[in-house]
Amino acid sequence: MLKMLSILISLVCAAGASALDGAEILEKVDRNLAPPSYELYRKLINIEPNGAKKEYVLYTVKKGKDRVAGVFLSPASDKGRSTLRLGENMWLYIPNVGKPVRITSLQSVVGGVFNNSDLLQLDYSDEYDVVGLEESDTEYILDLKAKTRSVAYDRLKMWVDREKIMPTRIECKTEAEMLIKTLYFKEIQDFGGGFVRPAVIETDSPLYKGYKSILMFAKLKVRDFPDEVFTLTYMPNIESLR
Amino acid sequence: MRSLRVFCSIGVRLLFAALMTTPASGAADGYAFDPSETEKKIYSFGGYAEVKPILFDLDRGAALYKTRFFDRGVGDPLRQVDFTLQLDGGIEWNIFKAFARINNSLSRTCDGWLDDSKPYELFVAAKPTPSLTASAGKLTAKWGKGYAWNPVAFVDRPKDSDDPTLNLEGFYMAGFDYIKSFEGPLKTVSFSPLLLPVDYGLNNDFGESGHTNFAAKVYFLLWDTDIDFLFLTGNSRPDRFGFDFSRNITTNLEIHGESAWIKDFRLKKVDAAGVVSESEFDAWSGLLGLRYLSRIDTTYILEYYHNGTGYSEREAKDYYTFVDRAYDVYLDTGNAGPIRKAANLTRGAYGRSNPMRDYLYLRVSQKEPFDILYFTPAVTTIFNLNDRSFSLSPELLYTGITNLELRLKGTLLVGDNASEFGEKQSDARLELRVRYYF
Repeated sequence: MLKMLSILISLVCAAGASALDGAEILEKVDRNLAPPSYELYRKLINIEPNGAKKEYVLYTVKKGKDRVAGVFLSPASDKGRSTLRLGENMWLYIPNVGKPVRITSLQSVVGGVFNNSDLLQLDYSDEYDVVGLEESDTEYILDLKAKTRSVAYDRLKMWVDREKIMPTRIECKTEAEMLIKTLYFKEIQDFGGGFVRPAVIETDSPLYKGYKSILMFAKLKVRDFPDEVFTLTYMPNIESLR
Repeated sequence: MRSLRVFCSIGVRLLFAALMTTPASGAADGYAFDPSETEKKIYSFGGYAEVKPILFDLDRGAALYKTRFFDRGVGDPLRQVDFTLQLDGGIEWNIFKAFARINNSLSRTCDGWLDDSKPYELFVAAKPTPSLTASAGKLTAKWGKGYAWNPVAFVDRPKDSDDPTLNLEGFYMAGFDYIKSFEGPLKTVSFSPLLLPVDYGLNNDFGESGHTNFAAKVYFLLWDTDIDFLFLTGNSRPDRFGFDFSRNITTNLEIHGESAWIKDFRLKKVDAAGVVSESEFDAWSGLLGLRYLSRIDTTYILEYYHNGTGYSEREAKDYYTFVDRAYDVYLDTGNAGPIRKAANLTRGAYGRSNPMRDYLYLRVSQKEPFDILYFTPAVTTIFNLNDRSFSLSPELLYTGITNLELRLKGTLLVGDNASEFGEKQSDARLELRVRYYF
């Protein structure tokens, strides 16, 4: 009897899940990856074909749909370097140079496979429309198209774990479907506060053969910030939020 | 020239060795994110140590060579080594912060060993809310949007357009930043007033002493455009006001500009006979620039700069003629008076980094060509539109070893007689900068 009940519940859940349309799946992916406003620490590791590594630690804060800011905590050569995104506007502040300069989403602040857009990422559902949805027993496969031309990758193909509604792999492509890089989401971890998400994103790119970048996540916390934190004038002070 | 070749060869070998070397952090046989890496301390300490050997291929017929070396012989190429130790320290407690950046330099030049140590920044700040930060001490304002020049940087020291990313010494000031955010096309407004005293031994090199100057900047982010309105008033320098802007036209193309008006600007001039006069006029300086990132990661920075406080081609030629005549007098009679007078003028407005009126700046840099991570070659030119002389600086930058930055840079200075770059003290310069951050 219990077994039959369990099968019935599974079928109802499956039916409910498949009833989700692409946009709803994408919004669920966003909310499962992070709350709308948060702070978090990330470690970026660039690995060269000969095994050489270079590591960066960043502190990032985000508010709502279009505000993200971050500051590098290490290494010493990059410490204090901060980035700000306000909608489609992006700036970089380098302590030695002193004044924020506008940057583009395609540039890389630190070199390597990750670019500014990856480090200052907004919710996927804010930047992309779902233009295709395929389903298998275990996965959704979403075809995403950028809402504006200012987004770094025009097309994304996202593999989503059907049970956890969590991405497992994302291919980032140009408008002409040329693959720029692939993100692999790994090591599901409980961050507390109800957030269970991948703690590691690995990236490789056919443009950087043999190179790999790894982004590791820690101390993801729900936190609200005043709007004034996400301004050009505040950029030199982002580290004081920690 | 042999020394130049040897120096060049050593520099290229060092860069090549760095490119081929596995960084000390070792192989990627595992990775971890230690929580201690995210812990915040109330104090911070850092900085960099730098060594920079430089070779100058001297131009013995140039005006700036004559004013500097008229009474002594120096070897050619001229060798110089600069050592810099910059120390940063900070304490942050609750809403309060104290910060110091001390720059220590030691140079081995043809004049012997020269050393200098001074605070570039030294201030305390309080941030009672994210909207308000009050600061007092030695501060750098860094106003303006231009890369190579900033005509609206009214309370900053002038940049070296040959190396615009070098940090600069500040002035003793007190002020605050007030920020307000909004929804809609106007997203941010901030107000940053500053008081800058030139008195009590403070800021003596800013201008006339015995005055307290007032400057302010109002910033708007309006329709995705950064806009600043700025002014400086007081009696240490002539009053001035201006604006700047920066905006992305497309994802990969940014434009920026600055405009500055200076009332009653005074400029000291010398004619070909050595008669010094001073003229007073309202000056306008402006800058228009763009930054473009191509699909293959080439960055172009192009700027046009009109320096309203600069010399015309005729005025510059008069100065160079006077230097030549003064040098001839010294050679013929041993009378050093006129050439010393010329040297004093060179230390003033004539000796500024770019003393004339109209310039073009172009920098083209290629990120990580040939899949060499952290390697950025670049070439920069500064073109004097008035006398058609120019500098051309190729450089190789490598940052692949954690906290170590290697830069090999050469500069060719090209121009006719009585032109700005033709009258610099050297025809060419080669430098290797090795900087270690800690």
